[in-house]
Amino acid sequence: MLEPQLLFVKGIEVEREGNPILRGISMQVKPGEICGVLGRNGAGKSSLAYAIMGLPQYAPKSGRVWFNGQDITDWSVTERARAGITLAWQHPARYEGIPVRDYLSLSNPEAGENELSEALKLVQMESHYLDRLVDKGLSGGERKRIELSSIYLMKPKLAILDEPDSGVDLLALGEVMGLFKILATGGSSVLIITHREDVAAACDRSYLMCAGKMILEGSAEAVKRYFLSQCEPCLDLEPSKAREVAASHG
Amino acid sequence: MDNVTEEYKTLVAIAEKTGGEAGSFGSEDAIYVVVHGNNILASHALPGVRIEATETEDGIDANITVEAGVTVPKPVHLCFGHLATMGRQVIKSRIRLEEKASAEFQAHCIFPNAIEFLHAMEGEIHLGPHSNFSYREVHVHGPEGRIDVRPVSRVRIGEGATYRGDFTLVEGRVGNLAIDIDVEAFGRRSRVEITSKVYGKYDDFCQVRDIVRLTGPESSALIKARVVLKDRSQGKFLGLVDGAAQGARGHVDCTEVIQGEAKAVASPVVQASHPEAEVTHEAAIGRIADEKIQGLMAKGLSTDDAIDFVVSGLLR
Ligand SMILES: Nc1ncnc2c1ncn2[C@@H]1O[C@H](COP(=O)(O)OP(=O)(O)O)[C@@H](O)[C@H]1O
Ligand SMILES: [Mg+2]
Repeated sequence: MLEPQLLFVKGIEVEREGNPILRGISMQVKPGEICGVLGRNGAGKSSLAYAIMGLPQYAPKSGRVWFNGQDITDWSVTERARAGITLAWQHPARYEGIPVRDYLSLSNPEAGENELSEALKLVQMESHYLDRLVDKGLSGGERKRIELSSIYLMKPKLAILDEPDSGVDLLALGEVMGLFKILATGGSSVLIITHREDVAAACDRSYLMCAGKMILEGSAEAVKRYFLSQCEPCLDLEPSKAREVAASHG
Repeated sequence: MDNVTEEYKTLVAIAEKTGGEAGSFGSEDAIYVVVHGNNILASHALPGVRIEATETEDGIDANITVEAGVTVPKPVHLCFGHLATMGRQVIKSRIRLEEKASAEFQAHCIFPNAIEFLHAMEGEIHLGPHSNFSYREVHVHGPEGRIDVRPVSRVRIGEGATYRGDFTLVEGRVGNLAIDIDVEAFGRRSRVEITSKVYGKYDDFCQVRDIVRLTGPESSALIKARVVLKDRSQGKFLGLVDGAAQGARGHVDCTEVIQGEAKAVASPVVQASHPEAEVTHEAAIGRIADEKIQGLMAKGLSTDDAIDFVVSGLLR
């Protein structure tokens, strides 16, 4: 490898309940870049995020994952997080009885009241949210924004954001997208999973996934154009047919 | 004498660290009793509250009376404990609130080093008409202990009086716990609220038995339990409300969360022995979802720390 890679995924295969859902995925993320993964619902984007984060249910049956020059394929979620990888789930979990303040502090135990408020402000939330609970009382969009501010506080080497825009209202979307740049400027690489074109446009470089395969890699603009022109007509495809299409893409 | 001072300092330091009103021990305007084993290390009362305590062979025997019409402004702080690894402590008490008296009691039971220990509390509580009593008991046990904890209370509630009982054992090992609370709300419009929060680990055994008989017309009760069990611990919850008078209303609410090989049984029992009583219940036993734990691990927490964090919210 000539170029330095932060994350290097090589040929991973993941099955769930006997079905192949990642079929020989290879990809890289460079230090400091904002990298996109596009693909329709069911393409396997979240599964890829889980496999990189190291969830045991998504352990690859073949292929390897390197991070920062180390083979992390057999590492636990905790070990990967401590090495600098984190994930903002598509649907972040709720925690009964836990105040937002305590939840955010997990990402950075040293952060004081001001830093916590700043992190909330970045996603257009007022500091009074610190006293709210991270439970069912928050709307989906509020919960997602709190997750993003917790990622910001963690200052990870690699932040994987699974559909960071979903459930976030249009007014806050600008701030959320601004946050990708803030993360990258702060030294994090960002891997964004999305099927929205404006979010895809915020990336430096993108991949396109289809039926468990990477079918395209290129500039954010080129991948987005291909996605809009080639994947849209594909909307009614059966999963088995989709696999054929993916196979025909190479 | 030096020993006694050391024991006093240690018990009080732990009690104050564990929440409740800090700084009441030794203060002139507070009511408190500190007992190590069967030694009363310190005790202070104020006008309107009578405390008669005697040392017995293995503990103390105390009568506490809050006189009619008296409202105790600060919580009455009781601290029972032992710093030894083995032994027993039996605390017998009779607490009486006279008519229209009002008081809040905060008890800390502290056994940081106990390995083989019996701690029994035998309490009788009598609440006079329109009195108001709240009792919070917090236990602090060490990480190794196999301590037997037997809090037994008999509570009788008069007309228009309110009893609020809170039992918390979430730090250190539970050991072998059997809470046994028996309440009779015989007064018209008397009220009962009982909350238990327990965190069992290793091979701890936690049994909570809350029984309320609503014999007073229009009396009401809420029994609430939050029990978290991990490793090989076992939990048994029995919450019973009997609506035995016209207009009596009761509810039992129990949530048990299990991890590892823990086992839980929850039995909410409601009976309406009076046709015009209304009693309801809800109970749930479940595991902590993987996504909750993994979400925290993705922030660098270990599996155990992630579980503890989730549990701290459930038991808050
Ligand atoms: N636990 C599971 N068991 C079986 N199939 C699953 C499971 N999880 C995901 N899948 C399947 O894997 C495919 C990819 O899912 P996912 O990674 O969530 O896609 P995306 O995030 O791109 O929408 C889908 O066809 C989905 O139905
Ligand atoms: Mg998804």
